[in-house]
Amino acid sequence: MLQVQGVSYRYPGKASPTVLAEVSFSLEPGSLTALLGPNGAGKSTLLKLLLGQLTPSLGKLLWNGRAMAPRRPRLALVPQRSAIQWQMPITVRDLVALGKLAGPAAAVSPQPDTTEALQSMGLASLAQTRLSQLSGGQQQRALLARALLQKAELLILDEPFTYLDPPTRQQLLAVLRQQAAQGRVVLVSSHDWGDSLQGYDRALLLDTTLLADDRPDRVLERLQRP
Amino acid sequence: MSPVPITFSWWLLPLLMALLTGAMAGVVGPLLVLRRRVLHSNLIAHAVLPGVALALAAGIDPLLGGLASGLSVTWLAEWLSSRRLLDDLGQEVVANTLLAASLGLGVLLIQALDGDVQLNSLLFGDLLTAGTVELLRAGIALVMLLVLVCSRYQHLVFLAMDPEGAAAAGLPVRRLQQLLSLATTLVIVSGMAAVGLILSIALYGAPALIGIRASTSLAGAMARSAVIAMTVAVGGFGLGMLFDSPPGPVIAGLCVPLLLGFSASLHRGGL
Repeated sequence: MLQVQGVSYRYPGKASPTVLAEVSFSLEPGSLTALLGPNGAGKSTLLKLLLGQLTPSLGKLLWNGRAMAPRRPRLALVPQRSAIQWQMPITVRDLVALGKLAGPAAAVSPQPDTTEALQSMGLASLAQTRLSQLSGGQQQRALLARALLQKAELLILDEPFTYLDPPTRQQLLAVLRQQAAQGRVVLVSSHDWGDSLQGYDRALLLDTTLLADDRPDRVLERLQRP
Repeated sequence: MSPVPITFSWWLLPLLMALLTGAMAGVVGPLLVLRRRVLHSNLIAHAVLPGVALALAAGIDPLLGGLASGLSVTWLAEWLSSRRLLDDLGQEVVANTLLAASLGLGVLLIQALDGDVQLNSLLFGDLLTAGTVELLRAGIALVMLLVLVCSRYQHLVFLAMDPEGAAAAGLPVRRLQQLLSLATTLVIVSGMAAVGLILSIALYGAPALIGIRASTSLAGAMARSAVIAMTVAVGGFGLGMLFDSPPGPVIAGLCVPLLLGFSASLHRGGL
């Protein structure tokens, strides 16, 4: 279980504003959670804290009751599209196989091999295709297939649905639900405040502080309130 | 019966040096281009000058001086960049300021030391003066580079494509980046005799771009890039001899038609 206890963060520098203020929540294994918030709300900072790229100014990050640093959980990240080098000379199969590089597993369930991961994302026929020749949705599925092989306990996706059409979003969301059902904690940072929010178990609404931590329909209601 | 002395034709050493320099640049180039580190490698190319000048004046191997000064400036650039000077805007300013300052310091040192160090040879190369020591240094650098690439190939692929994902997966991203900086410095200093510190940058760009475009793996991109860079280096050497010109500038100049040809090929839908 992931526990975020009273976490605050401000970047170094006297004039830097507080980006996160006393944020607390916990995520159970098997949960699929959306992290929502406007630009500048602190979503990226929170993800960097969870990934160990930043250290909280105040508060604690716990995994199964123990501090995440230095004993962090097995992590997989699907980063924002802008963080990926899409011109990388690599086939879809080789990209997915990179998921095997992560260290020894504390597996939460039996893991697929590369071929199974490709098949589960509907990419088997594109295995030998160069990554840059795929559509945006296929590229996102390839990254997700790589994450499936990483045997992660905590799966983090940063804006994975950007530029994707609604059917592709639903397809990816279904895969994420499967991943959560296998006992993982799945956290998705999203700008998508539409109907697809209903596919999550929970939604966290962040704007420096945590404004809401509830079922998606209730958070949507709150968002739509004047 | 007395042993027959081994004699080298005058062109053999420079030719081998050109081939080795092309191979090194070709292997490291795709990594630099994919990681968007070409400006960074240009910084290293300038940053090694003060160390090389000091080492030559002191009679030490220039590789050691170049490594010390190149890595020190790289560390300074990364430290300054991490200070979030105007966020992303600061990074280019940091790199270019240190690049110019390193060049300036190198020129000042060479003048102040008043020795036999030839600024032009360091900056623009002098292939015909390459001896067995330079050849041996370049050979060792190439072997070290290949050992790094072969032993960390999958990690380098992950890093080049998705550094954030690689860090999240627990890969030693910082150490890999440091190794890449070390390899780049090693290659630049080792290729100094062939194309000089400043002109070496040309061999990292255009051949790598074509290699990346034409391949479906990083290894394929490196191999193609190396073959192209070796061809350009040897071609530049040959043209330099033909027209009685220094090979370094000719090699750098040849990268422009290469880039133009690549652009035309893309326009026609090739590659």
